[in-house]
Amino acid sequence: MAKIIPSGILFADDLTRVPQNLVYFSPKEFLIFEAAADRLIGPPPPGHSGSVEIGGAARADQFLSGADPEVQEQFHQLLTVFNAPLFTFLFDFRFSSFLSMSPEDKNSYIEDWMTSSLGVRRSGFQALKRVCMSMFYTHSSSWKEIGYEGVFMPEDRK
Amino acid sequence: MIIRGDDITGPVRETADVCIIGSGCGGGASAKVLAEAGKKVILLEEGGYYTSKDFGSTEETAYQKLYQQRAGQATDNLGITVLQGRCVGGSSTINWTTTLRTPEFVLEAWKRDHGVEGLSSMELDPFFARVEKYLNVHQEPDENHNPNNRIILDGAKKLGYHAVAVGRNTKNCVKAGACGLGCPFDAKKTVAITYIPDAVKAGATLLANCRANAISVSGATKHVGGVVYDQATGKPKSDFVIEAPVVIVSASAINSPVLLLKSGLANSSGEVGKHLTFHLTSAVLGLYEKIIYGAGGIPQSAMCDEFLNKNGDGGGFWLEAVPIYPALAGLALPGFGSWHREMMHLYPHIGATIVLVKEIDSSGAVSVNDYGRASISYTLGSKDLKYLKQALATAARVQFAAGAKRVMTLHATATEIAEPSQIEAKLAGADWGTNELALFSAHPLGTCRMGANSKTSVVDTHCQTHDIKGLFVIDGSVMPTSLGVNPQLTILAIAEKSAEWIATESVKFRE
Repeated sequence: MAKIIPSGILFADDLTRVPQNLVYFSPKEFLIFEAAADRLIGPPPPGHSGSVEIGGAARADQFLSGADPEVQEQFHQLLTVFNAPLFTFLFDFRFSSFLSMSPEDKNSYIEDWMTSSLGVRRSGFQALKRVCMSMFYTHSSSWKEIGYEGVFMPEDRK
Repeated sequence: MIIRGDDITGPVRETADVCIIGSGCGGGASAKVLAEAGKKVILLEEGGYYTSKDFGSTEETAYQKLYQQRAGQATDNLGITVLQGRCVGGSSTINWTTTLRTPEFVLEAWKRDHGVEGLSSMELDPFFARVEKYLNVHQEPDENHNPNNRIILDGAKKLGYHAVAVGRNTKNCVKAGACGLGCPFDAKKTVAITYIPDAVKAGATLLANCRANAISVSGATKHVGGVVYDQATGKPKSDFVIEAPVVIVSASAINSPVLLLKSGLANSSGEVGKHLTFHLTSAVLGLYEKIIYGAGGIPQSAMCDEFLNKNGDGGGFWLEAVPIYPALAGLALPGFGSWHREMMHLYPHIGATIVLVKEIDSSGAVSVNDYGRASISYTLGSKDLKYLKQALATAARVQFAAGAKRVMTLHATATEIAEPSQIEAKLAGADWGTNELALFSAHPLGTCRMGANSKTSVVDTHCQTHDIKGLFVIDGSVMPTSLGVNPQLTILAIAEKSAEWIATESVKFRE
């Protein structure tokens, strides 16, 4: 069952996972992104890593800190809207923040964004998916799982 | 001389005969021609200067160092990803080497509909031939096509469609599969390792990490002002002003109009930023029992051109292969979560065929956003949407003919097709709204279009702006229409031709 908590409250044990040296995300945004990436990438098969294990949210923090100012501003807004109970209620009649949803509810909620009749929500889904997939599949830890061998390089640069 | 932002310690104040903004195909070729004609050339590049030893050739390093907005550039609604280079050499550093002449029907339309003189096939042929020789453009022998390109050649052949090897600008290619990530072997004859070194050898100066923010005009003199960035940190560190009687804007179809609009120049027609075309691109994925491994070998060596201008309306589409790098695959595959991850496990068995639509009734534009950067909008026209659907259906047929067991489009909600007889019905039932089908562009063109009429175009046949003598735009933005082919050869040939004209007429620009 989904935990019902105000969106502004974070659990102490969640906050301990948040790196101290964030340059783009607030601690709460870090947790929202981490949770979204976990669902978007999907659970790892045995012996492989998920988005959390490869530090996908920390990588996204670095990546977004170098993005154009308008992209940075829009991504802040997206994470706020994506998580806030007000919007989860308005969009989907759900009564909890994204962070407090069960894994199944999170999947269902993300799917609602992906297939929404509102273009702006589909754009939001694409923005999240782009950053999550980029952070995960540019990381060499993900390559073995899918059978990517990297680029053939000159001897002195292998 | 090539100077990185790291090496610049204070404000830069320089004069030149010609200042060129952007070091891609348009700027690089112009710099070589003008420097070799004895002109003092200063070439500005907002991106960094990297050699093959710096590339790293992973998606992570390439996107960060070599791509515009780290490969995240898109239309404002994120509906279309717009891939461009942002480094010395521009998009030639990260393109997939396909080098093709402008189709004759396109050049005829430019003359007929836009009054463009001097760019007929006959007049451009010597320039095409010169560029092709300089860049060692050639077709690969049959044994060099990787399995992903064989899908096009074999599938199209079975269906009776015309498909051939494309021209490629490479020499001693080792088939590393890295074209889109920066060639670590310098086998790809990019602008950065051909035109730029030759321009520098002839006396040109290239300032990397220098972003032009505005051009001003006083009399015959133009002033180009901007910011110097540190290559390592990306942080601003100084500024520059370059004075020259001739300024060539070669910042691409996305950023050239932004610079002109911010500068308030060359827009008496109101046409700057309008008529953006994308050569709109999507893909069809085929799942095979055998290994395809689309990340290996030569990424793009074949095409099917059966359906370009087939109806004589100037529109249509064609098919090419695409390198399947992991993050690109992750972005393109439909859906998310467990289903998406299971699909990624089939990665070595995926073949990808891209469809590229030559637009005839879509409407795109570039304007300036509140941050002084490009705002990109695009509305797909009904005729082009029809061609896009036909293109996806054709690519699906080609995939099945080549042996695919299942086929899917890049719709957000997976559209899986189990056999050829399902293609039409599946596509008819799919959604086609914004962000319901993944769309891309690597060929944005046309935002400062060329034409004889100064009320409906921005530059003349020599790429000089109608409004200001000595101010030129030489890059993909001058194309009056979508090309229907990969644009680098067209841009290079027009750049060489225009730069030759500037060199012979240069005295006039000081008056």
